[in-house]
Amino acid sequence: MKILLIIPAYNEQENIEETIKKIKEFSEEIDYIVINDGSSDNTEKILKANNLNHINLVNNLGIGGAVQTGYKYAHENNYDIAIQFDGDGQHDINCVPKICEPLINGQADMCIGTRYLDKNSSDFQSTFMRRLGANIISIFIKIFTKASITDPTSGFRAVNKKVIEEFTKNYPTEYPEPESTVSLLVNGYKVKEVPVSMNEREGGTSSITIKFWKPVDYMIKVVLAIIIDSISLRRIGGKR
Amino acid sequence: MQTNLKIALIIVVLIYIFFILKAVKRKNMRIGYLIFWSITGVILIIALLIPNLVENIANVLGFGMPINMIFSVAIFIILYLIFNLTILISKEHNKNTMLIQEVSMLKKRVDELEKKEENFNGK
Repeated sequence: MKILLIIPAYNEQENIEETIKKIKEFSEEIDYIVINDGSSDNTEKILKANNLNHINLVNNLGIGGAVQTGYKYAHENNYDIAIQFDGDGQHDINCVPKICEPLINGQADMCIGTRYLDKNSSDFQSTFMRRLGANIISIFIKIFTKASITDPTSGFRAVNKKVIEEFTKNYPTEYPEPESTVSLLVNGYKVKEVPVSMNEREGGTSSITIKFWKPVDYMIKVVLAIIIDSISLRRIGGKR
Repeated sequence: MQTNLKIALIIVVLIYIFFILKAVKRKNMRIGYLIFWSITGVILIIALLIPNLVENIANVLGFGMPINMIFSVAIFIILYLIFNLTILISKEHNKNTMLIQEVSMLKKRVDELEKKEENFNGK
């Protein structure tokens, strides 16, 4: 079973080394690829100096385009499972086996690590505004796909081979987390959630926080994207 | 329409056509757009040169004043154009993303191969 961690990094010079050290300490068998999304700080130098496996995007693409590059890399190198993993120390490497389990025993095609399923397992429950936003997005996903996803904006997710191939072809790059979930659901893929713990960011700024400085704008666009995706991405006959 | 105004407008349209020709000469414009812009230029010239043409059309179509018709037509043409440009930008954006991804992945592979070759030559 070949497992790849896709780590999108944008200006993560403070965290990236530490994150990868933790991954290596956890297991030598898990591969990783850092996608440096045109960082303007020393991220590239650090990656090169420490000989860390990475791809330098020649231009900034945003989180969606960066993560898709990771899926393309996973597809080219024939990985069985790809896990999206933040470079800022927010995600807990110890939860990786847990998040892979539903994929390995065939219960799901994508497994999302959620903060909200189990109150005790997560030290970091995030802010009220964020939870409210996640809830609103959840309600719309429920309306349009009939599936319950409690943490649709979670960036900690594992996908199997079928979904890796799907994502190399179509990956929504504007609001990737909720949109990719919807596009999988409407095409008949199984999506499951497992509770994970998340830490407060160790440094730098999150891409989501930047988006959330205009929360209303973000919400309207995500909801619109969900509606459009649930109509337009549905292929006749479902799964191909 | 006053003759002075007419002459001024014709000069403006001529400058406009001059810009189109310049863009064509520098190959800054694709043929599809060239046709669109040339047609608008020709239509403007015809409308200015034939006396009472705009007034008569506006009367037949029921516009109160000719200027209303001109504004309506102009706004619709501009809307159509901007709509097309928005679609074009979105398409180009997707192509651009794909190109950046592929180039970046290729760069990584080239780096790896170069390293391999260095090691091979070193032995």
